[in-house]
Amino acid sequence: MKKGLKIFAILLLVFIALQFWKPEEIEYSTPTKDFTNVPAEVNTILRNSCFDCHSNTVNLAWFDKITPANFIVASHIKDGRKALNFSDWDKLEKPKQSATLYYAFNKILSGEMPLKSYTALHPSAKLEDSSVEVLKNYLTTIAVRKTNPAIPSIAAPKGIEKILPNKKITDYTKVKATLNNISYIPDFRNWKAVSTSDRFDNGSMRIIYGNEIAVKAIAEHQTNPWPDGAIFAKTAWKQKIEADGTISAGAFIQVEFMIKDAKKYEATKGWGWARWKGNDLKPYGDNANFDQECISCHNPVKNNDYVFTTPLHLDINKFNIYNKNK
Amino acid sequence: MKPIHSIIIVLIIILSGCNRNNENNINEKASVSALDALPENPLLLSPITFSINPNKATMSTLYGNKIAFQHAKIKADSSYPNGAVLYEVTWKQKADSLWYGANIPDKIISVEKIQFTGNTAPKYELYAGHPLKKVSSNDENKRTTIILSKGMVETP
Repeated sequence: MKKGLKIFAILLLVFIALQFWKPEEIEYSTPTKDFTNVPAEVNTILRNSCFDCHSNTVNLAWFDKITPANFIVASHIKDGRKALNFSDWDKLEKPKQSATLYYAFNKILSGEMPLKSYTALHPSAKLEDSSVEVLKNYLTTIAVRKTNPAIPSIAAPKGIEKILPNKKITDYTKVKATLNNISYIPDFRNWKAVSTSDRFDNGSMRIIYGNEIAVKAIAEHQTNPWPDGAIFAKTAWKQKIEADGTISAGAFIQVEFMIKDAKKYEATKGWGWARWKGNDLKPYGDNANFDQECISCHNPVKNNDYVFTTPLHLDINKFNIYNKNK
Repeated sequence: MKPIHSIIIVLIIILSGCNRNNENNINEKASVSALDALPENPLLLSPITFSINPNKATMSTLYGNKIAFQHAKIKADSSYPNGAVLYEVTWKQKADSLWYGANIPDKIISVEKIQFTGNTAPKYELYAGHPLKKVSSNDENKRTTIILSKGMVETP
């Protein structure tokens, strides 16, 4: 018994001594003002559930300050702020603010945020269903295309409908490679459409093209994981509202590639990630690690081999069964 | 990565087991089925352009066979050559369960085929219903004009 007491005393001393060892001081409690043009209840939810790690306004619990917990807390806050810091909100342009909120909301819906380890110890940060609904309703109001758009009263100008590829690039070898060393793949327009998507949140529309290997994988139901050599080209255009209220594809925004090679791209979840923007096909990214941004967005679908798209079934054989029977 | 993080991660992996999801996620409902009475599977042709009708919550993709696709690539007019075949496939939209803010194809509600043969006017056919069956259309001419007016969606 006496021995047990001794061990306890030693542990206690070590614990107390540990308390002098603290993580590098970070900015904890600079007040962040409410977001302008954002309803009060949305502000409150964000403050309550996101701000501890995604702003400079942190509400630490007493146990967050104890060594070694404080080290984990400090590193989480550092990572959290790097990904998104709501204290910098006003520095963002309006479309970026909307995109950020949609992104954050989808992280909440996918269950990735707030972190489970965080809500386990800070249950008040957990989002109630009613809060999720409040956020959703608010996001609907800031979508670039509202769910029930009024048919524009001013007719779209006629005659300039035919946009011929006038700025067409003729020599694709001159398109710069991305900083993670991926070269542009000009051939994707000859690929098949694996799916399409209507992004009313940011007013864009996309065709997701798949190369031959990707299409074969779909036909053979080998899509999780996708085989090496499968490539997707997610191509985005602006939504253009026509006089009759329908929407056609307007200006080209960007094309994004995911190139599967489990070995070559082992460090980036088995995929090579690339994006070229605008009519001059400017490679996206400021440094070779820009693909971490792609991965963190695709992380909620890691169980789908990091692919958001649910492909259309492109099985040739299945269809032929019908024709044969006919 | 800090050692404490590695320990936590290893513990989580051990505790949760390696329950990898091996399901193939394919949008079967939005695909052509063996029961659909179509002359061929239009989804296997080349996408020329696409559109959305927010009032009806539908989205359409215009596909072309090789001849139609080659024509659309170089000319933005409706004078498709002989042998050109176009398919306008229209889906009901559904909310993307993986991204709030997006709609993706749900069921196919119609397939419209336009075929260029000889010197006669292009032949229009409409397939609708579940499964898709050839049905007659009241606005053949209007639909033909609309579909033929769609040019290739532009990429640099």
